[in-house]
Amino acid sequence: MPDVHNLIFSGRRAALIGGLIGLLVVAIAPFILDTYLTNILIRTLFLAAVVMTVDILWGYLGILTFGQSAFFGIGAYACGLIFTHYGFGDGWALAALAIAVSVAAIVAAGVGWLAFFHGSSPLYASIITLALPIVLTQVIYSGGNFSGSSSGLSGFETYYWDIEVWFWIAGVFLVLITTASWLLVHSDFGRVLVAIRENEERCAYLGIPVSRIKIVLMILSAMVASVSGFGYAAFSNVVAPELAGFQLGTELLIWTALGGRATLLGPVFAAIGIDTISSWLSGALPFLWKLLTGIAFVIVILLLPRGLAPLVDAAWRKLRSSRAASVPAIKLESAPVKTMMQSNEGAEPPLRIERLSRKYGSLHVLRDVNMVGRATELLGVIGPNGAGKTTLMRCISDGSERTDGKIHINSVEIGRGSPQRVVSLGVGRSFQNTNLFDTLTVGECLKLSRYRLDGAKLFERSESVALPQPALDILQATGLDQKLTEETRNLSHGMKRGLELAMVLATEPSVLLLDEPTAGLTKPERMAIGKVLTRLRREFGLCIVIIEHDLDFVREISSRVVVLHQGAILMEGSVDEVVASDLVRAVYAGHTEQEKAE
Amino acid sequence: MGVLTLDILTTGSILFAVAAGLMIILGVMKLINFAHGAFLTTGGYVAYLTGLAGISPWLSIVLAGLLGVAAGLVIERFIVRPLYHRPLDAILATWGLGIVIGQLITIAFGRGVQFAPSPLSGTTGVLGVDYSAYRLSVAIIAVLLACALSALLSYTRFGLNARAVIMNETLARGLGIDSGKVRATTFGMGAGLACAAGALITPMLSVDPNMGLPWLVNSFMLVMISGVSFPSLLVASLVLGGAQVLVSTYVSPILGGMTIVVLAALVLRVNPKGFSRA
Repeated sequence: MPDVHNLIFSGRRAALIGGLIGLLVVAIAPFILDTYLTNILIRTLFLAAVVMTVDILWGYLGILTFGQSAFFGIGAYACGLIFTHYGFGDGWALAALAIAVSVAAIVAAGVGWLAFFHGSSPLYASIITLALPIVLTQVIYSGGNFSGSSSGLSGFETYYWDIEVWFWIAGVFLVLITTASWLLVHSDFGRVLVAIRENEERCAYLGIPVSRIKIVLMILSAMVASVSGFGYAAFSNVVAPELAGFQLGTELLIWTALGGRATLLGPVFAAIGIDTISSWLSGALPFLWKLLTGIAFVIVILLLPRGLAPLVDAAWRKLRSSRAASVPAIKLESAPVKTMMQSNEGAEPPLRIERLSRKYGSLHVLRDVNMVGRATELLGVIGPNGAGKTTLMRCISDGSERTDGKIHINSVEIGRGSPQRVVSLGVGRSFQNTNLFDTLTVGECLKLSRYRLDGAKLFERSESVALPQPALDILQATGLDQKLTEETRNLSHGMKRGLELAMVLATEPSVLLLDEPTAGLTKPERMAIGKVLTRLRREFGLCIVIIEHDLDFVREISSRVVVLHQGAILMEGSVDEVVASDLVRAVYAGHTEQEKAE
Repeated sequence: MGVLTLDILTTGSILFAVAAGLMIILGVMKLINFAHGAFLTTGGYVAYLTGLAGISPWLSIVLAGLLGVAAGLVIERFIVRPLYHRPLDAILATWGLGIVIGQLITIAFGRGVQFAPSPLSGTTGVLGVDYSAYRLSVAIIAVLLACALSALLSYTRFGLNARAVIMNETLARGLGIDSGKVRATTFGMGAGLACAAGALITPMLSVDPNMGLPWLVNSFMLVMISGVSFPSLLVASLVLGGAQVLVSTYVSPILGGMTIVVLAALVLRVNPKGFSRA
């Protein structure tokens, strides 16, 4: 398929061409523009690079950040402070730049540690990024003569290069950073970012280190922003607290929203356009102009949540209607099994639960549950609604859930580990509701689930995804292998279930937790899934824990059944023993203890 | 010592009064109203205008409240309602609204600082010191407000409906509660409270087009750490407001300005539920 090949390489080629055009424009522009406009544009170009980092954090990763200006300010002040108080020269300039970047990185790491941890809300993260510029501005104010307090620092010695040179520096920096970011967001890793934005929880359960990725991107963005700030300060010869302020931080957001989040180029052009016009108009009608941007911002948020870029994009596509939007195809490959089968029958059981309990206030949802899941065993968990079955799954897969007790996965106690830590110990969990990533394709979802084991390419998009045999079997059985380029929201319920299971299997668990995997499926679909499960158990030595209401299905596939009732284990045994038990019958039919005694 | 105690008590209550409007909107609507600061500023200018017109400053608080309710209902209909399902976008839209209100005020009144007359001048002797009578009465008003708002949520039909919407909106709608109406009323009340609070605090300070911003950030932090409960908001305001007063007095006023933000961020990192379950 030659055009598939073309499509995949067109991403890199487009980036290369775009970058070259950008550099060309930057090279020529100073000769065409007048001095005044060039002056304004230098500031704008530096800010546009910061806006782009906002777009990556907010547009792609879903972190609404008000604080990117703080890092711009850190860069600017590193330049201003060192040139003013310590000295000026090539050595000092390099030292100042290094300080700017490292301080920004350290601050960003601190902010990331504060804002991103398992269970933190997006709102909380936004608040932390909001607090950052406010705190930083206060610190600058309290610096007295050293930081210049509210009036800032100016008139320090710097490079008095020609204005064209500064324009080229700012322009080349912007073009290079934009090209790199473009490659990043269009790579496999870029899809991981989008997946985190769409469904963070699900990513964590696929073993993707969500918080670490967020912190790392926060640090990288901060470094870019601080270099921008450094460049701006060295050019303008002025630093002021406003450069680090909350106002600038929100302006960056506004430009991003107006240009179109998650489009990368949209925000960059919006920043260049709006900031240039504001600098022009701020002399003539300062308040009115700001009022108009405010109104435009509200209207765009309300009516065009994706900003202006999609409109431009649509018009562009209309002009070139011949080229339809297409998704690069993905090939499936078989991967050697890495971590499955690591447990065998004789060894320590892969799942051991001791005295597990879970309380919500005074309500005991689980109490004193003791359970062992052996390799090559399919353990059915049954019980009436509200018995605590799903809570049991949750406690096994997330260390922060349980109130008391110990859970050992492959002989390792999970402690208070986050879901991704538990996944790395060998747990795979499927969910009761099919919550997938709506805008990702089937192939992208599968790649995502291999992130923990295979990683993701940073600046490239790979053409194939290698999966272990059981995952391939599921895909074949449900016909998903023919639909790899379909977006998951267009799949039928049965296919979503199949994909969910395939994704969990792709993480190569040794303990598989399935919460009603066959709910709402047709008889043939159930049969297919039952067959795969049996095979997983026998040939790959998995320990499978399955919640099921359909006793016939359980009888067919499982070796042992645990009955949960009101949070405690009522009985344990083979399916026939359980079905024959009066106790269990009483629980399901709702008889009281008294009636049973009669 | 007496002055310090009174400073802590009054600062805490002022913070409570300022944050109450933000909290009721967050509690019922799960929405952070970033226009809160602009509402406070608007209230401040109402106080300034009534002062110019020679109307009683007490009345200015009521007038500001009414204006806020009316504006809140209109804003809810056109800006907030379409964004219920996009909470982070609602933050941005209300922030944009804040910019618009701020610019309108700047165009009308200029960027300068204005003052409003105080309803109560002079001092009263409490705890052996002479203390600003108006600050004390603001503290009393804040405590009354806390009681009134708690009572509203606990003992009225609206409160019952609102609590139902807070706990489970889908179910509440299934029971025939018009959640749209509850939300509209809530936003109106929140905006009214914010404007009234602006008019309440302006006589102690001054008003300029950006006066709301520092208050917005502090109230925001207070609301985040107190969950949806007026008593715990009062506690949080007193504790963090107290810390602010202590830092300002003994360390530096500039560091005092960021005490609330830093402390609240740390409290939330250690215990994401904040004071609500403490």
